[in-house]
Amino acid sequence: MTTAAQDFLRNAAVKSADLIHRKTIRNSIDHYDSAVVRGRARFQNWEAAREKCQAIKRDGIEHLDRYLEEFESKVNARGGQVFWAENGEQARQYIAALAAKHNVRTISKSKSMVAEEIHLTAALEGKGIEVFETDLGEFIVQLRKEPPYHIVTPAMHLTRGQIAELFKEKLGGIETDDPSMLVAAARAALRRAFFSAEMGITGANFLVADQGLAAISTNEGNADLGVTLPRIHLVLAGIEKVIPRMQDLAILWPVLAASGTGQPITCYNTLVGGPRGANETAGPEEFHVVLLDNGRSELLADPEQREVLHCIRCGACLNACPVYRNVGGHTYNTAYPGPIGSVLTPHLRGLNQFQHLSYASSLCGACTEACPVKIDLHHHLLENRRNAVSDADRPLGERIAFKLWGWSMGGASRFAFLGGVGKFLLRALYGLGIEGTAIDPLRPWTKYRAVPKLAAESFRARWSKNHAVE
Amino acid sequence: MQSSENPGREAILARIRAALKVPAKISDSPGHLHAGPEAIFAPISDPLERFQRECGANNTELILTKSATEGIATARAILESLPPGEIFIQDAQSVRDAAQSFQGSRALRWSSEGGPRESSQASITLAESLVAQTGSVLISSACGGRGASVAVPVHIVLASIDQLVPDLDAAFARIAERGTAAKNAYLCLITGSSRTADIEKILVMGAHGPKRLVVILTLS
Repeated sequence: MTTAAQDFLRNAAVKSADLIHRKTIRNSIDHYDSAVVRGRARFQNWEAAREKCQAIKRDGIEHLDRYLEEFESKVNARGGQVFWAENGEQARQYIAALAAKHNVRTISKSKSMVAEEIHLTAALEGKGIEVFETDLGEFIVQLRKEPPYHIVTPAMHLTRGQIAELFKEKLGGIETDDPSMLVAAARAALRRAFFSAEMGITGANFLVADQGLAAISTNEGNADLGVTLPRIHLVLAGIEKVIPRMQDLAILWPVLAASGTGQPITCYNTLVGGPRGANETAGPEEFHVVLLDNGRSELLADPEQREVLHCIRCGACLNACPVYRNVGGHTYNTAYPGPIGSVLTPHLRGLNQFQHLSYASSLCGACTEACPVKIDLHHHLLENRRNAVSDADRPLGERIAFKLWGWSMGGASRFAFLGGVGKFLLRALYGLGIEGTAIDPLRPWTKYRAVPKLAAESFRARWSKNHAVE
Repeated sequence: MQSSENPGREAILARIRAALKVPAKISDSPGHLHAGPEAIFAPISDPLERFQRECGANNTELILTKSATEGIATARAILESLPPGEIFIQDAQSVRDAAQSFQGSRALRWSSEGGPRESSQASITLAESLVAQTGSVLISSACGGRGASVAVPVHIVLASIDQLVPDLDAAFARIAERGTAAKNAYLCLITGSSRTADIEKILVMGAHGPKRLVVILTLS
């Protein structure tokens, strides 16, 4: 077992027994669930909306080269620059060099999962640059020196009491746990960062090919300040974010909001595609877009899992997942947690190291049902399991067990034989009283559960007795 | 960017093209429901009624006025109720005409003089369009520049009824028709005032953007 897998199991065991964590997450997801019911009710036909979004994303991905080039040429036409980064290293270098060239000391950053993926903030801080996360949730986890817990709600795991204590310690002068007072304190602290930052970094929810615009959705308005006040604005986005037409946003925006938070639409849906224009007296002098590959083109080459690139990062599959709800976002130890992260991470960071995430699922399919672009998430988890078995070395015992099982499924009498042997062995062993002890062969299972009493007669035997052919 | 400075460009495009030679295998698992024949959204029969209802729900202060003059008087009354400080205002002829009535009572900073300052108390701008479906205001950099709508505590929008479109589809069709996206590097669809629910999912208004969004809509 890999270290990452061992860490996952250990942390999952701790988190799922943490009752306070459980209560906090349940409270948050209950709020989310009821908002989503209201959000979806605004659609006359939610399924048609999902199908439409799936079709838009599929069009974007199936013609990715063409749409990326179209996006680039439109951005260039407005005086913006596009940099194509093959991996995180190239992206970090480009951004750090740009910051150095302009003598940037302070950066205001709005939420970007791609920045988490390539550990951008740490790299910039290493160059002596101060980076302020401006999304409130991100700001909170940054003060705690933690990664985001959730891709939409980064501080989902914290109570207001914990946040109040954090602000009291780090910001000072705060003696309340009233959320509106806490928000006001964060606003005041970040106001200075916004007005002093020389560079603003944002992510993008979509890259609109036909107009050369990055679409950024926030409720707080923090991205708008980041694209307005600093001298340089940089958008960091994965290549898969491209959509064909601006018109597509007429459905993507409401669907993203309904799935992300249950809102009718996010408060600020910003479209930005260049530096300060001829009709502006304020705004950045330079506009850059970094398009990141970092394993995405390899995923594109897998026809079975290509549609994983359709993901719009709404977080719906995380909220729906019974495993995520219990083990929590940090246990995954990946930039993208939950079902989508479990599917995606092995592609981005190696199947060998991250195959255990394919098993962090009950295969119940709640993620697939929740996905607004209809990614067949739980089947992709199954495919990753299959690929892991053929690609990576599995323990000898497991291989023998599956060989035997495969053989037994080849005929009714073989199955009955193997079942009989299994039952005999288990009876014999448990007759010795080893059930639940360290030498119990079913130990991983019996550690937390009692074995049900074995029936005296097999199902097959009872069936043939009760349904005997006359 | 020249390809010599960015060798990654050709490498990425080559990998994408090679990958796309094989068509995607899209499975349609039986658990997936299928859409019936009806449209995604119900049609909007009365855009103004819908716009009013959505604004009420998303915390936009919508004020309907019979004439432009009445609209200006309303804006002036709001400005007078605000704490002292500069007002950021879009430099357009129609706004200049209207603003004669504020002049003297408040310090004004015109968008032609630069962006809003940190101390600005409010901004007054026009809009590209209003969207009934979501109760939204669509602005562009032509509406006083970027920042006019987010860097201040109160954003006041002056609009007229001919700017109201039923839904997002119609709003985008209008943008395409008028070439708005080609002329502007920045557009924003604003729906209500700034908010966050990042602390225990409790809704708090006024995160980074305005605490108040006021739309003064002239019906004639």
